[in-house]
Amino acid sequence: MIKAGPHSTVTLLLALVGNCLFLAPVMAADRGPHDWLDRMSSAVQTTDYQGTVIRISDGRAEALKIVHSVSDGVIREKVIAQEGNGLEIIRNGNEVHCILPARKSVLVEEWNDQSTLFSTLPSSNMRFGNEYDVKIVAKERVAGRETVELAIKPHDVYRYEHRVWLDVDTGFPLQTQLIDDDGSALEQVKFADISLGRKIKASALKPSYSTENFKWYNQPRRRVTPVVDSVWQSTDLPIGFVLISAQQEVMPGTDEAVTHILYSDGLANVSVFIAAHANKKVSERSRVGASNSYSTVIDSYRITAVGEVPAITVEQVASSMRLR
Amino acid sequence: MNEAIKMQLSAFVDGELPENEKELLLRRLSQDAGLRQQVAEYLMVGRAMRGEKQIGGVNELRDRVANELGEKPMQDGHVDIAASKNRLLRPLSGIAIAATVALVGILGLQQVTDVDTPEVTPPDAIVDTVDFPTQPEADDILRQYRRIHDAHASDSINARLAAFELRQESTDQDEEPPLAPTDETDQPEVADSDTE
Repeated sequence: MIKAGPHSTVTLLLALVGNCLFLAPVMAADRGPHDWLDRMSSAVQTTDYQGTVIRISDGRAEALKIVHSVSDGVIREKVIAQEGNGLEIIRNGNEVHCILPARKSVLVEEWNDQSTLFSTLPSSNMRFGNEYDVKIVAKERVAGRETVELAIKPHDVYRYEHRVWLDVDTGFPLQTQLIDDDGSALEQVKFADISLGRKIKASALKPSYSTENFKWYNQPRRRVTPVVDSVWQSTDLPIGFVLISAQQEVMPGTDEAVTHILYSDGLANVSVFIAAHANKKVSERSRVGASNSYSTVIDSYRITAVGEVPAITVEQVASSMRLR
Repeated sequence: MNEAIKMQLSAFVDGELPENEKELLLRRLSQDAGLRQQVAEYLMVGRAMRGEKQIGGVNELRDRVANELGEKPMQDGHVDIAASKNRLLRPLSGIAIAATVALVGILGLQQVTDVDTPEVTPPDAIVDTVDFPTQPEADDILRQYRRIHDAHASDSINARLAAFELRQESTDQDEEPPLAPTDETDQPEVADSDTE
């Protein structure tokens, strides 16, 4: 039996540390793109973080301070716009308060328990299909941290390309881009600085303003009825898109019910709204950031498709809606 | 609507409004649904006064506008615009120009690219071809659709913030709050202790 002397122990430790240092990059390099997406899904649900995000859309850039914490399964978040009207969003579980200090108002909304502010890709159990290629295309530094850059490229013109930069250590997305077919970024969210996995103090999640004398507005109560078997269907859905849900929803402030049908390819989503009153005009084509809409009249119904997809997609989906 | 804004609209349609005031007026139109509605109503009144087809409720509208402008109620289809000494009544047909330019301004300010929105065209063509009163309503409908879509289809920060911005816009446009103020709404209680 060979006894390990002090020198042997040091040697062993050095060897272990050396192996760990050597193995870490190998493990990162060995991960496939889908492994990285799984890590990202887990990271955005479980990681505490705070930092500054730059959001660029429609040629406008704005900075947001973000604090995010998960404790006992409850998500708490605070988002502060650094420019403009000082918008501040406070989230405590599924209740969200949007504070508008300039108007001394608070808008109250309810969010899905599991939704997160910073999530631009589907969770691992909602994998997109063969309509996209996922590749690791580069290694870069973002917010002072090493990242792998993933490109999620569509095979056709019916969806946008996504780029996402994931933190090598945690899998957390430090930058995301939505890319138009000409290669330009339609929307971008990027951390300028971030602290990951550190303890978040409760005081960091409190509103910056006293809202004592503010007016509070509740979210309009939505009147939604699920539709099991819609009489409407698309006869020419772009490949990969499937029906996710269909429901009747009464539009806020009116008694008018519209049918809302949601299609998705797992990454891109298109909503179709069907209103019985075709005489109510909706702009035929419009665009806000990456979101396009197209409206037309079919069988005396006003059909409007909306989604973060190219204009051709909403036009094809809306135009192909037919009564069964 | 106060006298100053009426004068501004009038000067605007006459092409006499300075550029800096024009910008302010367009901005105000973009934020004031009531003012846009007033412009739309004026457009309908202009149509009626030029002997175009009757529009539902136009008699009431004409009386209302006349009252606002300090004129006697107008007679059906027999208003001599040229004879009117009231500078505010004279260019009613021209309000179509203002309304169209305002629409372009409104859409521009809201950063909505409406591919089908025509460039500013001559007044006659506008009156005949642009169905103006429906446009603000059309934008409201689309705004609601986008909000519903975002609520269902996207959890991204962009979608969340866009939804808040849309809701903020719609709140801004209503003179009266669309929702009952709920002063009693509980504020979030966050413990002073650390979350961990």
